[in-house]
Amino acid sequence: MKSQVEEINRNIYDIKNKDEYDFKVKKGLTPEIIEEISKQKNDLEWMREFRLKALETYNKLELPTWGPDLSELNMEEIATYVKPKTKLNNSWEDVPEEIKETFDKLGIPEAEKTSLAGVGAQYDSEVVYHSMKEELIKQGVIYTDMETALKSYPELVKKHFMKCVPVSDHKFVALHGAVWSGGSFVYVPKGVKVDIPLQSYFRLNSPESGQFEHTLIIVDEGASLHFIEGCSAPKYNKVNLHAGCVELYVKDGAYLRYSTIENWSKNMLNLNTKKAIVGKNAKMEWVSGSFGSKISMLYPMSILNGEGSKTEFTGISFAGKGQNLDNGFKVIHNAKNTSSVVNAKSISKNGGTCTYRSLVRINENAQNSKSSVSCESLMLDDISKSDTIPVNEIQTDEVEFSHEAKIGKISDKAIFYLMSRGLSEEDAKAMIVRGFANPIAKELPIEYAVEMNNLINLELEGAIG
Amino acid sequence: MEKIKLNETPVRTSRNFRINNIKLENIWIPEEIKEFKNIKILNENSKLEIIDKTSDINLTYGLNEIFTKQVENSANNNTQLIVNSKTNKETQIEFNFDELSDVLVEDIEIVANEDTKATIIIKYNSSNNIKAFHNGIIRTKAKPGSNINIIIVNLLNNNSDNFIAIQNVLEENAKVNYSIIDFGGKHSITNYYSNLIGEKSENNLNSIYLGSEEQIFDLNYIGELRGVQSNIKIEVQGALKDYAKKHFKGTIDFKKGCKKAKGYENEACMLLSDTAKSLALPMLLCSEEDVEGNHSSSAGKIGAKELFYIMSRGFKFKEAMKLLVRAKFNKILKNIQNEELRQTILKEIDKKI
Repeated sequence: MKSQVEEINRNIYDIKNKDEYDFKVKKGLTPEIIEEISKQKNDLEWMREFRLKALETYNKLELPTWGPDLSELNMEEIATYVKPKTKLNNSWEDVPEEIKETFDKLGIPEAEKTSLAGVGAQYDSEVVYHSMKEELIKQGVIYTDMETALKSYPELVKKHFMKCVPVSDHKFVALHGAVWSGGSFVYVPKGVKVDIPLQSYFRLNSPESGQFEHTLIIVDEGASLHFIEGCSAPKYNKVNLHAGCVELYVKDGAYLRYSTIENWSKNMLNLNTKKAIVGKNAKMEWVSGSFGSKISMLYPMSILNGEGSKTEFTGISFAGKGQNLDNGFKVIHNAKNTSSVVNAKSISKNGGTCTYRSLVRINENAQNSKSSVSCESLMLDDISKSDTIPVNEIQTDEVEFSHEAKIGKISDKAIFYLMSRGLSEEDAKAMIVRGFANPIAKELPIEYAVEMNNLINLELEGAIG
Repeated sequence: MEKIKLNETPVRTSRNFRINNIKLENIWIPEEIKEFKNIKILNENSKLEIIDKTSDINLTYGLNEIFTKQVENSANNNTQLIVNSKTNKETQIEFNFDELSDVLVEDIEIVANEDTKATIIIKYNSSNNIKAFHNGIIRTKAKPGSNINIIIVNLLNNNSDNFIAIQNVLEENAKVNYSIIDFGGKHSITNYYSNLIGEKSENNLNSIYLGSEEQIFDLNYIGELRGVQSNIKIEVQGALKDYAKKHFKGTIDFKKGCKKAKGYENEACMLLSDTAKSLALPMLLCSEEDVEGNHSSSAGKIGAKELFYIMSRGFKFKEAMKLLVRAKFNKILKNIQNEELRQTILKEIDKKI
């Protein structure tokens, strides 16, 4: 027997605050609107021009001819810039009560106290809170919002801004280039090891709007960092859009782990772009949990430009009713002795669709490179869908490449075994699903692993049994 | 001449990945199609009914409209093979391309009646100095309980172009074992589609390709499972040397209702030079819960340890390489019962390497 639950109570994630703002740009996408955003943000001239050029590129590029149907996205109905009723604060006390309460309920200030070295919190289009531990400031670590970074470190930002992810990459990157606002900037100086993670949390409250934060992280030679990104939004009846951009520069010998727990509401189109350029003997790790969104098209990418560079991707997607999560990973091996390891999992239930879409490209100059890809998909009922669409392009013979994928349901034998040990069928299935997700959970700091398990429990409620 | 796009995947992915279709430039598509004379049928007394008229072509996929229309309108060979034998008898059809018969546009329709058995070998040869053109459609209807082995052998020269669209429909308990030996052609483009509609229907596709010089292989293999407990197994072994390129697109699609179906797909590519290129898209599409689907794909050069071992036994490098390629291909060649044909294929492997 399968019981169907129409809508799961996402409790804290669905808290809706009143749509209050200091300024909200008109809906739509015109040069005038871009000029208005630029004026509101006091952009430098180069940035104003950059935005207008990006808009031109946006208008020239077509929508993807593959993947989920995006026809319901009407940019005429989306406000691309919503300035919350507060400035950037360095103390939680100064954040307006209602916004602070939301972040309190999401556990952000508590996490800051117990397990983070720094926190950034964005509400709609602007960062409302940013802070970092004193000892990291002393070591020269920079962790601030993008707007402050543009003013305080103009050359460093200009040198890296949208160079890793050029606006011509695809239509939604071009859109991002035109209307971006907020996001975090991190610079870890040479040799500095940031042992405790930094976290930015993105919350979109305003209905029929978009969030376009820009995250730019530079981990200099021999340095290391763990950065966590969290995102959520309450559910509205109309479409919201998230088209953020993450650019990561992992310099020679550096290490960066980028973890994401994405829990956007189920009216959100999540068309995000993330890319890392990895230097000699450097390592880039991606950990990704994708639970929310109506439609998600998200394929983080590592470009292994440095000899001996490495990347790992560990990700899980969980699609329920009405969700179409088209996620995956891309890696370009562009130097000798590079390696990549991919471990992707997906769970589909209640009519949800999960697609794993990927690219492994080993270029001619990447001799002695290795790549190993594994993806597993779990179907929890017969009304859901799960697809695996991996592309593997090998351009040299001195490689070791392997890809394997599995698709199927929860093993009857495993359920039988657990039930023989006294578990109910529902508990047995839930335990197996949690076990399936465990390789991802164990890569997260404990607090986030707990959050991920809670999300899985929430998603599983009523889905199996 | 403008580029033509063919062999589209059933599901598109990003255009930047360059695998949704193959674009070919300056392809010679003959307009005037003369009679093709060099057809040889061996073992005609195998109880196979051979008729020179086929039913309407109705392809779900195919290579593209141009190629399908050419067969519909201008085929110079239409052959219907009706299988009536209850024991497995072998029939071999050979198409030998030469100066006079250099264009073959054909429709072969195989109808395997209930509970019948047969082995059908279709072989394409060409003399060295010609540029041959082959555009073929091979359709198989496997009725309940039938058990058919089909072996396609492409031994055309590297100047020629080889285009084949295969379509199989399998009814309940039908079994179709397909082997494709794909060695020839400057371009060898294959579209293979199996529709497993019947309960417990089973399709095994074993394929080997061997590319040299500037050969391009584009293999688009699609299996759609609809029948309860239907089963498809795709095994592809290949080797590429010189500047050869291969695009492998393998799709196993579990359609709603194919409960307890199983799909397995494995593609392995040996790269014998640092200029050969392999592009693979092994897809699993699933709309049914109670199924088992697996795919795996690998690429790389021949193992140094194995080469070293064989060479330490006195073999030269090239000989050792040949032995290893043969060993990999043997997994598939062992299914071919016809000893003479197997030897011909082995000789061709030696010649190409």
